[in-house]
Amino acid sequence: MPVTTKDKVLQVVFAGIEEANQVLPREAQLEKSEETALMGELSELDSLGLVNLIAAVEQKIEEEFHVLVNLADDEAMSLKANPFATVGTLTEYIATLLERRRA
Amino acid sequence: MTSRTHHGVIVSDFNASNFAGCLKNNEEAPNVEAVVSPFGQVMPVLIQDDLDCWRGDPDFAVVWTQPQGVIKSFGPVLRYETAPSERLLEEVDEYAAALAGLSKRVKSVFVPTWAVPSYYRDFGLLDLKAGTGISHWLMRMNLRLAENFEKSVNVHILNSQKWIETAGKRAFSPRLWYMGKIVFGNEVFIEAARDVKAALRGLGGQSKKLVLVDLDDTLWGGIVGDLGWENVALGGHHAVGEAFSDFQRALKALTHRGILLGIVSKNDETVALEAIRCHPDMVLRLEDFVGWRINWRDKAENIVELVRSLNLGLQSVVFIDDSPAERARVREALPEVLVPEWPEDKLLYESTLRGLLCFNSPAVTREDVDRTRMYAAEAQREDSKRTMASVEEWLGSLGVTAKVEPLNEVNLQRAAQLLNKTNQMNLTTRRMTEAELLDWARKPNHRLWTVRVADRFGDSGLTGIVSLKVQGETGTIVDFVLSCRVMGRKVEEAMLHIAGEYARSQKVRTLKARYLATEKNRPCLDFWQRSAFAPDGTGTVFAWNLDAPYPRPESVTIEGNDA
Repeated sequence: MPVTTKDKVLQVVFAGIEEANQVLPREAQLEKSEETALMGELSELDSLGLVNLIAAVEQKIEEEFHVLVNLADDEAMSLKANPFATVGTLTEYIATLLERRRA
Repeated sequence: MTSRTHHGVIVSDFNASNFAGCLKNNEEAPNVEAVVSPFGQVMPVLIQDDLDCWRGDPDFAVVWTQPQGVIKSFGPVLRYETAPSERLLEEVDEYAAALAGLSKRVKSVFVPTWAVPSYYRDFGLLDLKAGTGISHWLMRMNLRLAENFEKSVNVHILNSQKWIETAGKRAFSPRLWYMGKIVFGNEVFIEAARDVKAALRGLGGQSKKLVLVDLDDTLWGGIVGDLGWENVALGGHHAVGEAFSDFQRALKALTHRGILLGIVSKNDETVALEAIRCHPDMVLRLEDFVGWRINWRDKAENIVELVRSLNLGLQSVVFIDDSPAERARVREALPEVLVPEWPEDKLLYESTLRGLLCFNSPAVTREDVDRTRMYAAEAQREDSKRTMASVEEWLGSLGVTAKVEPLNEVNLQRAAQLLNKTNQMNLTTRRMTEAELLDWARKPNHRLWTVRVADRFGDSGLTGIVSLKVQGETGTIVDFVLSCRVMGRKVEEAMLHIAGEYARSQKVRTLKARYLATEKNRPCLDFWQRSAFAPDGTGTVFAWNLDAPYPRPESVTIEGNDA
C-alpha cells in the first residue's frame, strides 16, 4: 500500500511528540496515538507543552518536507474544528496544509 | 552512594521550564527536582533570600541568563551601537557580586557562560574586532565572570558552548523564543542537564577514580599474541594507529587529573608486558598503570581482585573493553562498575573516552597529580613488609610522619575532596561542600585537623581528617577520615592522640565517637573496635576517659600539631 502524505505527517507528529516528551514529567508524557488529546479537558498538556510540541512538529515538517509552516497562525485559530484537539486532527490539518501548498 | 533527591532552583531571564524538565527526566544519578524562579526577575531573585523558591535549603542553583538580560551595556553591542567602555566589565563584576551573595545561601551555584544565537554572524569580519565585535565582548565578559570566581569554592562556571556545539543547528530556536520565550532548543538543555548532574556527582565525591582497560583492540589494534608486538596497529602514519595513540594520550591525560589506570586483559602476561615495554609508539608505559591482571581468567574476578588490592571500591571503577561479550559479563557480574558502551570504530575511541561525564571534580589537588606515583610507592611499601619479621618491625622501619594542620584556605580543597570521596575509613560519611566545611570548622567549639602522611617511600599527601566538637566536658569526634592508601600505618591512632590531647587541653573529660554504618565503612568500625575506646551497648558509640592521654603510636612522628 502506498505511503500517503497523512501517513508521513503522522510519523512527523509522533517524532514531535518524542521531542516534546523530553521535557514533560513522565506521568504527563504524550502517547503516540491519533487519539491522544492535545487540548481540552481530556488533555494533560499545558500551554508550554503545546508550544514545545508545535515548535518540534514545525521543525520536523521543515526537515521532512522542506516546507516552512506556521501551525499556530490566524488560520488555524479561526477554524471551527480545533486542529489541535488531538494528534489525529493535527495530522489532518498539517496534511491539508501540505496538499494545498503542492496544488 | 547516596540516591537522595537533590533540590535545585533555576534562576533565569528566559523561560527555563524545559531545562527543569530535562534535569528531572535525565536518568543518571542523582535524582534532581528543580523549581524555576519567577520568570525574568534575575536580580531580585538573587538578592532576596525570603522568596518561596529558596525555601527548604536547596542543594544548588543554576543561574542561566542572556548577556543582554543582566549586562545592560551589552545591549548596544548587539545593536552595533557605540562601542561600550570598560563599564561593561564593571557590570559583569556587579553581577558576579550578586552571584557571590547567592553562594552564601546555596551549597553550589552553577552559572552557564553567556552565549548569543549562532545566527548572529552578519558582520563576521567584525565579530572579534576589539571594542566593537559581539564575540569579542562576549568572550571578555565570560572570562571576566570566570575570573571573579577563580577562588570561589562553590560557584562553578559551566561552559555552555559545549552544549551549543553538541546541539548544532538546533541549539537556538526562534520558534521556541517567539512562542514561549525559550532561548534554546531541547538538545542544549539535555546536554546542560548532563553536565549539571555530572557536577553534582563530582561535588558529592561520586566521580570515578580508576580506569581499567583491555589491551588487544583497546589499547592497540590487533591480537598481540598472534601478531607480535611489532605488528599491532599503533602510531605511525595510519588512521587506526594514530587513533590508538590518541586514545592512549587521552588515558595518560587522565592520570594528570588523579585518575588511576590499570589493565585487565585476557592475554599472555609476558607477551603483553613486552609489548608495553618495547613498542616504540606506546604512549602508556608500565609506570602509568597502578596494577594489572593479565591472564586467562574471568575478567570480573580479575577486576574484583585488582580493585581490592588497590583498596578502592568497585563504584570507583570504569572498565573499557572492545568486546561486547566481556562488557556484558562485567556489567552483569559487577553492576557497580561503570562499563560504557564502546564504539566498534577505533577512530571514535578518544572522543568516546573524553565524552564520559564521570571524572568531574571541583579541583585538581597536589595529591591528584601525584596519585599514580603514590600507588607505586605503596607497592614498594608492601614489598618491604614481606622482608620484615613482624608488622611492628615493619611499621618502625617506615619512618611515618603525620603533619597536622588546622583547616585553612590552602588545604580546604583537598580536605573537602577527601571528606567527600572517602568511603571505607569514614566514621560518619558526612558529605560537605568546601564552603560548608569551612563554616563548620570556624565555629568556636569546633576543631578540624588535616593530616599529611609521609614515610621513607614517599609523601602520601593530605590523607587524614579528624574533627572535634566540644560541649562541656564531652568532646565528640565528628569526622574521622583516612584515605585507604595510608590505612594500617598507625596514623589512625595518631589522629586519636591529636584529638585527645586537644580535648584534654580544653578540660574535656570524655572523648566520644559515634559510628554511622554505611555499606562501605566496615573497616572503620573494625578500627574503632580495636582502638581501646570503650564501646557502649549498641557497639556503635565509643568512649575514652581522658584522665589518661590516648597514647601516641611510637612508630609515628607527629609534626606541627598546634593543638
